[in-house]
Amino acid sequence: MKPELQTFVGSFRMSQLNFFSDPQWIIPNIMAPFVFTAVALVFFRNVSGPLALYAVLGGGMMGMWGNTLYGAGFALSFDRWNGTLEYVLGTPSRLVWIVAGRSASSAVLGLVNAFAVLLIAVFGYRAELGITNPLAFVVALVLTLASLSALGILFCSSFLLTRSAQLLTNGLEMPIYVASGSMFPIALLPFWSHPLSLALGPTWGIDAMRYAADVSYTGMGFGYWSDILVVLVSTLVYLAIGFWLFIVVERKARRDASLVEY
Amino acid sequence: MATQLRELPPVRIFVSSAAFAFKALFSWLRPEMWLMQVFTLPLFEMAFFVYLASFVAPTTPNIAFIAVGNAMQVASFSSIFAVCNLTSEEKWQGTLIPIIATPANRFPLFLGRAMFQILNGMTSIVVGFVYANYVFGVDMSRTDFVTLAVVILITSLAMTGFGLMLGSVGLFMRTAMIIANIFLFIGHLLCGVNFPVTVLPVWVQPFSYVIPMTYGTMAARAAVQGANIIGIAPVLLQEIATGVGSILVGYLLFVGFEALARRRGTLEEY
Amino acid sequence: MDVWELPEKPEKAIVVRDLRREYHSSKGIFRKKREIVEAVKGISFEVDFGELFGLVGPNGAGKTTTIKMLTTLLTPTSGTANVLGFDIVKNVTDIRRRIGIIFGGERGLYYRVSGRENLRYFADLYGVPMSKREKRINDLLDLVGLKDRADDRVEGYSRGMKQRLHIAKGLINDPELMFMDEPTIGLDPEAARETRAMMKGLVERGKTILLTTHYMFEADELCRRIGVISSGKIVALDSPSELKRFVKDITVIEVEAFGVVDADLATIRRQPDVTNVSADLEGERQTVRIQTAKGSEFIPVVTRLLSRAKIMDVRTKEPTLEDAYLKLVA
Repeated sequence: MKPELQTFVGSFRMSQLNFFSDPQWIIPNIMAPFVFTAVALVFFRNVSGPLALYAVLGGGMMGMWGNTLYGAGFALSFDRWNGTLEYVLGTPSRLVWIVAGRSASSAVLGLVNAFAVLLIAVFGYRAELGITNPLAFVVALVLTLASLSALGILFCSSFLLTRSAQLLTNGLEMPIYVASGSMFPIALLPFWSHPLSLALGPTWGIDAMRYAADVSYTGMGFGYWSDILVVLVSTLVYLAIGFWLFIVVERKARRDASLVEY
Repeated sequence: MATQLRELPPVRIFVSSAAFAFKALFSWLRPEMWLMQVFTLPLFEMAFFVYLASFVAPTTPNIAFIAVGNAMQVASFSSIFAVCNLTSEEKWQGTLIPIIATPANRFPLFLGRAMFQILNGMTSIVVGFVYANYVFGVDMSRTDFVTLAVVILITSLAMTGFGLMLGSVGLFMRTAMIIANIFLFIGHLLCGVNFPVTVLPVWVQPFSYVIPMTYGTMAARAAVQGANIIGIAPVLLQEIATGVGSILVGYLLFVGFEALARRRGTLEEY
Repeated sequence: MDVWELPEKPEKAIVVRDLRREYHSSKGIFRKKREIVEAVKGISFEVDFGELFGLVGPNGAGKTTTIKMLTTLLTPTSGTANVLGFDIVKNVTDIRRRIGIIFGGERGLYYRVSGRENLRYFADLYGVPMSKREKRINDLLDLVGLKDRADDRVEGYSRGMKQRLHIAKGLINDPELMFMDEPTIGLDPEAARETRAMMKGLVERGKTILLTTHYMFEADELCRRIGVISSGKIVALDSPSELKRFVKDITVIEVEAFGVVDADLATIRRQPDVTNVSADLEGERQTVRIQTAKGSEFIPVVTRLLSRAKIMDVRTKEPTLEDAYLKLVA
């Protein structure tokens, strides 16, 4: 097996094992999305039709995002506190592959989150969900997940240099929920924020998911396939920047000894 | 440890532990991060719910209701999260046992730590109101600012008391962070932040009424619309009662858990 | 060695030339003061293949910084070093593949998973071929005696067991050269003895070890040569017996007493021909060690200077490596 793949898989596996050894840690991740979805469903209670889908999809999206960002950013903090960071750094594996494995693991767990939100919404609130084109939906979902993971990797590289990764994680969570149009169209947001929203791959991914779910959806107006294309391209761009940033950060950390300070 | 040492005056412990918390917070994070927490979190939470409400009911969203509610809810972050964090970070850094072992009057110790977070919470709420007014256009022309200030102060204190109670639970269990995370957000649903408590199912409502924030949001809205202290006194009294009640429960839990943990040796488990 | 063989074997395992390392730190919250601390001030030494080389020195002398530079965790401010023929700045990956690292202490393991999974993870990070991975893990678990607890969570291990897992982890990539930073710190005597025995065993099997420690007797027992670091510089480098010759003209007078105070020690230090005074004044039985060129004729002087204390025993002793060390770092 190629070394990079071995690192990726090993990191993915360790991340899953660590998570399942203490599964209650899923709760912090899903609390915000769950509560926000619940509030949204209360808002939506007098509105009928596919708008409920907005709430549920949005909640699921937020669940995925929170978990991915949390997993990527927090994982290195975890290593730091645990005392394993120096050992991990001392291996010949590139840090970016280790983080990628963890990010992917978080994304998968995020998917589980999303499911949980969905189930609670459907059974708890008796929301009606019909998805017109399931295959297109799944494709859009998977790509959005990939885009989220790639973003997680990108952010993680900047978390490497600060002790406050956890605070930063909390700080970024809300802006992303707002800007990605997870629960309401970005058209509602002030126009100057639109470029920021559109720079986020997940914004397009969620738009694509809505196209696949609801025939009457008009959304951002570019259509399903344009959305998919943008998600793909943005994912690649995030990965490229993330890779480069990790090289820079590793080099800097060896100069400043900044990584291994607690 | 059985030796009788002079009990330090609680006030001194209170002040020195507050100062310690302040320093500890900043050794852990840089001021820039703290500023970000105080200034951006209120904005985005408020934005989320305001836009969501606008989306659902474009013609008559009750922005004022939501914005004021969210401004108050911001205090949850500082008070609950931080207080719980204080106890769980202590555990992480292994300093809990030496502190418990000192003859210091223990509760003022934790109270002192919370003091900084109370100030933090109040600042965050004020920032939240600034956003509500200038960004989301909430009309504050009739606001009784003195009353509002009192509401903010009482809510911050009461919520910190609530946080201390949660912190007492966290002292014993591994799950302080989880409890903190739950209560950090549950306010949005339970405390009349985004919609009145009466909208919730009847069996849920009692839970709302034990959390001080529920009264805080009611009182804040009244103050924004011009009510004075006399007008909102009943609500404020109820809030004070829940806050004090939380502190008492917290203290009892604290003492109880401490004794239990000493017997079982679980203080350091994390 | 796994997939990557050494190109051609260099002459020495480690070659260090004038290595320096500065640390920048900032103090204060609002008005940041920058401080530059030179932790390592130009050290040079070489380590042969198959050698157990010791770096000893007080806390803060620069031992850990040196090891971090040689294990490529830190870049030097200036100077060069070659590890297994590779440059520590330019050939980081080549070095990391071939070395093992053990830092002393409890941390460094994933507590909520099993010992075996810890080893599997690091095996993956080191790129141990999948075909060899499981067998190597089992062999290592056998070697360190953790076979029957391998699948239990590390959080349930005793301190000694965690240490043994650390050693297994350090060997996971079958390294040619190992770096051990205070590996026996905090261990009970039996676990420490086991660790030392394991180190000797590894050297017998042809591995090279660079060890840092501040236990002199450990360095004396294990190392072929010792480098003494003090305040970022190497003040002596030689075999233990040669280092002891530093103090060959010195007699050590060891006094067991009760009621000795710091002022007494200061008075003794001021005496001519006293090179060093060290004391353990904690507890009820105090021990004072005086290094002097004068020999046993100095004893009456000592008893006079300590007349306010109650002396229980006075002995003369041969100087040990610890005495040489104390003299060198004073």
